[in-house]
Amino acid sequence: MKTFAPLLHSYWYLFRGAEMTLLMAGASVLPATALGAVLALVHVFGRRTARSALQIYLFIVRGIPLLVLLTFVYYLLPLTGIDLPPFWGVVMVMSLYYAAFMSEVFRAGIESLPQAQWDAARSLGMTRHLMLRIVIFPQALRLAAPPFVSLCVSLVKATSLVSIVGLWELTMASREVVERTLAPFQIFIGAALIYFCICYTLALYGRYLERRSLVGH
Amino acid sequence: MPFDIHFLIRLIPALLDGAVITVELAILTFMICLVWGLLVALAQSKRGPLGWIAGGYIQTVRNTPLLIQLYIIYFGFAMAGFALSGFLSGLLALCIQNGGYVAEIYRGGLQSVSQRQYEAGRALGMRRWTLYTTVILPQVVARVIPPMTNQAISIIKDTSQVAAIAVMEMMKVAEVWVESSANTYDVFLGVALIYLVLTSVAGFAGKLSERWLAFAQ
Repeated sequence: MKTFAPLLHSYWYLFRGAEMTLLMAGASVLPATALGAVLALVHVFGRRTARSALQIYLFIVRGIPLLVLLTFVYYLLPLTGIDLPPFWGVVMVMSLYYAAFMSEVFRAGIESLPQAQWDAARSLGMTRHLMLRIVIFPQALRLAAPPFVSLCVSLVKATSLVSIVGLWELTMASREVVERTLAPFQIFIGAALIYFCICYTLALYGRYLERRSLVGH
Repeated sequence: MPFDIHFLIRLIPALLDGAVITVELAILTFMICLVWGLLVALAQSKRGPLGWIAGGYIQTVRNTPLLIQLYIIYFGFAMAGFALSGFLSGLLALCIQNGGYVAEIYRGGLQSVSQRQYEAGRALGMRRWTLYTTVILPQVVARVIPPMTNQAISIIKDTSQVAAIAVMEMMKVAEVWVESSANTYDVFLGVALIYLVLTSVAGFAGKLSERWLAFAQ
């Protein structure tokens, strides 16, 4: 028990860091999802020029590490004269980055529906709007829900990167505690445990959704 | 000043030096994970304690950030008395984290082979080893190539996080150059381009091997 004393003394500080992590992840997930949905629609229904622009965006985001983009914005924002607090700068980068992955998940959901669904809706004389609203989207969202949740897990994990560019959240908090207590093993294990609790809860929810989405099939 | 040619002439060799470390880390991680992940996946498919341990390992590494694992290994081991070099700690953390993902990919591949294939193999009197090496695994390998390619790309991107423990891979080199020259644009453009080339090469290699192994489908 004594070896874990440093952790017991500072768990409250770590919890406050976790609060910040959750705040950051929550603030990024909403715009990422909205933008991802729009991009998925562009990908499926958009014109050729819009689609190729999107391909370039996806190529860039998939090929460059998030850390590079975060660091870039960290050094760049002060130079451009845009007076954005670092928190919102990070949230902006994270949402733009994850929007690309979200759009892939939503697109896969839409495109994995069998052609028969589209044909059946059209043969019933549905307008495009109605067809999308009551036939395509409800099924596509159901299929996209489990991978969407695992993207959320990956986003929560990715918030740890912002500690490298100097923002304060769980990873940064644990590094500070380590500097004070010189007990890296215990403190980082504690931080890992908090991350695990957050992410595993999400992952369990994802698994529940996956089981539920299989019921209809 | 952006696009200073004299600066670029000095910058590019330095970045490429870093890129060599990045590539070394990525290739070693990928090779080790291909083997380690398969072992974990096979262990996980067993009933009993071995299966639980493998399952617990996968959930633990998938639900905690790589950066925290990196810190636990790098700082924790140093504190415990046997310090690992930055490169080795980075390699170990990358393998531990990505091994969990690769194991999940193999598991999906193993599950996608129909139960009848096992039964047919057994009915022909094949031994377990022969059944796996000649019937099951060739099909699994062919099926896991697309997700494995994505994982390779994400390993290349993950190597950038090793910069946090002062390994002089490309990201760390870039940080040093930005801080000493304040020429943010050139450095980050260079880094981003090299990462894009590396990930594209990985994607291309994936496509090639997909075509090469198409016969096993």
